[in-house]
Amino acid sequence: MKSTSIARAEWQNLVGKYGIAIVLVVLFVTAGIISPVFYRSANIFNVLQQASALGIVSIGQTLVILVGGIDLSIGSIMATSCVFAAALMRGQNHLVLPVAAFCLGIGVLAGLINGLIVTRRNAPPFIVTLGTALIFQGIRFVYTKGAPFGSIPSIVRFLGKGGIGFLPASVIIFLLLSGCFALVLRKTAYGRKIYAIGVNRRVSHLSGINVANVVLSTYVLSGLFAAFGGLVLAGYLGFGDNWAGKGYELDAIAAVVVGGTSLAGGKGGIGGTVVGVLIMTIVFNMVLLAGLPYQFQQIVKGLIIAVSVAFYSYLGKED
Amino acid sequence: MDQEILKVENVTKKFPGVVALDRVSFSVRRGEVHALVGENGAGKSTLMKILAGALQPDEGLIYLKGKEVAIQNTQQARDLGISIIYQEFNLLPDLSVVQNIFLGREKFGRYPFLNYQRMAQEARDLLTQLGAEVSPYALVRELGVAQQQQVEIAKALSVNADVVIMDEPTASLGEHEVGKLFQIISSLKERGVTVIYISHRLEEIFKIADSVTVLKDGKCMGTYSVQELDEMKLVKLMVGRSFSETFPPRGKERGEVILEVKELSCPPLLKEINLKVHRGEIVGLFGLVGAGRTELAKTLFGVYPHYRGNIVINGKVLHLTSCRKAILHGISYVPEDRKEEGLCLDLSVRENSALPIIDKFKKTLFVDDQAMDSMIQRLVEALRIKTPSLRQRVKFLSGGNQQKVVLAKWLATEPRLIIFDEPTRGIDVGAKAEIYQIMRELASRGNGILMISSELPEVIGLSDRIYVMHQGKIVREFPSTEQLTEEEIMVYATGLSKV
Repeated sequence: MKSTSIARAEWQNLVGKYGIAIVLVVLFVTAGIISPVFYRSANIFNVLQQASALGIVSIGQTLVILVGGIDLSIGSIMATSCVFAAALMRGQNHLVLPVAAFCLGIGVLAGLINGLIVTRRNAPPFIVTLGTALIFQGIRFVYTKGAPFGSIPSIVRFLGKGGIGFLPASVIIFLLLSGCFALVLRKTAYGRKIYAIGVNRRVSHLSGINVANVVLSTYVLSGLFAAFGGLVLAGYLGFGDNWAGKGYELDAIAAVVVGGTSLAGGKGGIGGTVVGVLIMTIVFNMVLLAGLPYQFQQIVKGLIIAVSVAFYSYLGKED
Repeated sequence: MDQEILKVENVTKKFPGVVALDRVSFSVRRGEVHALVGENGAGKSTLMKILAGALQPDEGLIYLKGKEVAIQNTQQARDLGISIIYQEFNLLPDLSVVQNIFLGREKFGRYPFLNYQRMAQEARDLLTQLGAEVSPYALVRELGVAQQQQVEIAKALSVNADVVIMDEPTASLGEHEVGKLFQIISSLKERGVTVIYISHRLEEIFKIADSVTVLKDGKCMGTYSVQELDEMKLVKLMVGRSFSETFPPRGKERGEVILEVKELSCPPLLKEINLKVHRGEIVGLFGLVGAGRTELAKTLFGVYPHYRGNIVINGKVLHLTSCRKAILHGISYVPEDRKEEGLCLDLSVRENSALPIIDKFKKTLFVDDQAMDSMIQRLVEALRIKTPSLRQRVKFLSGGNQQKVVLAKWLATEPRLIIFDEPTRGIDVGAKAEIYQIMRELASRGNGILMISSELPEVIGLSDRIYVMHQGKIVREFPSTEQLTEEEIMVYATGLSKV
């Protein structure tokens, strides 16, 4: 009796882990059947490029969700970073380093604010980050008076638009960061603590782990990645867009959840998120290639999220 | 007066691994105050939940007013006239007294609107009958514990309950409030309401009850009228069991003091606690639920930093502000609630065992899994943890093996003082003996062990020395356990005899 239930649980574990990768492969094949254009290198390049900004911010979101939190402010941080980059770099390459550092600093500060409110006041992260998102947005509008100015220098443009061979520069960065953080989660003491906190915060605390600091650090990293994602997006767009990261917070959460990370925390990882990001992006691309209007993206996106969550809850039933 | 209102016949309830109630039979007469007593885990709450419809018995019959009834759910219990007042009140703090009393049974006027005036009037009548000075419009949040309890009683009466069951009603009341509650119970009795009174404070029972049913290890030890009993007799009925657990021999010699607690107070419960634990000894800490044992243990582990008084470890006065600090000073705490406080059930044996010392295995950037595995493998072997591999998730292990994983986790920190809170709860007999063996071995290797337990045979059989707690204080120290009887300890733990 007991051994079959363990076998069942392990099987569910496997399906939970790799099922989503199979979905990605199926999507990849179907996309090609719907439209052969999908496999053209220009299109693949395009898909990957679109995936990378979302992918970068989804890494931070994964960390936050793994400790049982959520970050709704990343879209706003992205746009703020993008707008400041354009305004301060003014198209000059020699200003890229200091201004990029400044933008990333904004991201860290924003994450610090989120994390401090969440950990010190024990406030619900959903509302906290919803509120701070508005604050960051307001600051951006006050600074630009509603009309962004400046321009993006060529180094940053390369980051967003350029590529090496068939790989966009941005996707290389995304994959490198993903690899790094997959390793961090799997191999470092910090990563192990993140999972332990997600599984049971109380036990972790009673085991001497500094829960508040670890949770705080995930928000800081999420802010940092959001600011970086904003720079990549700035490079892609070529100008400071007040709404550059609009909707990315929800797309990132969707990608993380589709990738198998549990919103309750403690389960999942970066690998799943990478797959989730690719699935989301391929679906957008498919809708376009099929000649359907943009609104269909929303329908399909919603379907994928709802179905995958239902699927994971079904798998999690044995608990 | 002699009419039987409730009769329980051969009720049995089994949970995985334990028989919570074993063919329990007793009957309650109309209009009496019937006390239900027993140690922690004797089966009182299971029996109560069955009467309330929250649990269904596996076997046995329940008769109400001479008719056989099957109580399928709490709603049905209420319809039959049985109301329960749990230790943890079932009130919504942000609603008013009236809203709480009539929750789910609101009265309507002519139109589909609530008739608040009528409800308030009825609530006021009920509360006045009880002699409670509570406004029907007050928010429950703003009331004191005693007043909240009065609201609960009014709520119970508003459904015209014939039988009111009270679970440890005095556990959170002050002395004056207890007097008030007893007045209310007397007035209920005059109105012909039957009260089943669950308590382990024996002095109360002799003040308020007409008859007593004693439960022990899930078995009914009989029903007595209060006149037939005295306190010692009652204690004897509650404990005095025949048990055949084998405990390891007691410690031979003890070393220097490892923990000294001086005048420790921690509001709201702990008052002026003094105790010592030496190297090499197992010190038992006995008390009934609510005595403050777990609070004391957690204070010693840095969970409640707002204490007054001194905690001295190895001769150094420490201010324990966090668990982290306690762990660094060699203190470990094996919690009572393994699933909520001891283990991350979804993580593996390895991850759980390494949790407190994960930082020690850093090799440059990464965790040195090999070193970690070999250390944990040694612990798994030393503690004889039965697991297919170190990667097995702990939720698939048996209770005994889970408890050993908790132990492995703390032994990995190389502690000097280990606090065990109910170390054998939910563990089968074989694993129990093993845990006892391990605890004794740890003591003989020079660790100090403080063991909280509400199982008397365990406390007497395993400890070298015993402290007894009652209402946040240490009321007695027994320097030796050789000749100790369960009755002697129980007398102090129930507050019958105060030092």
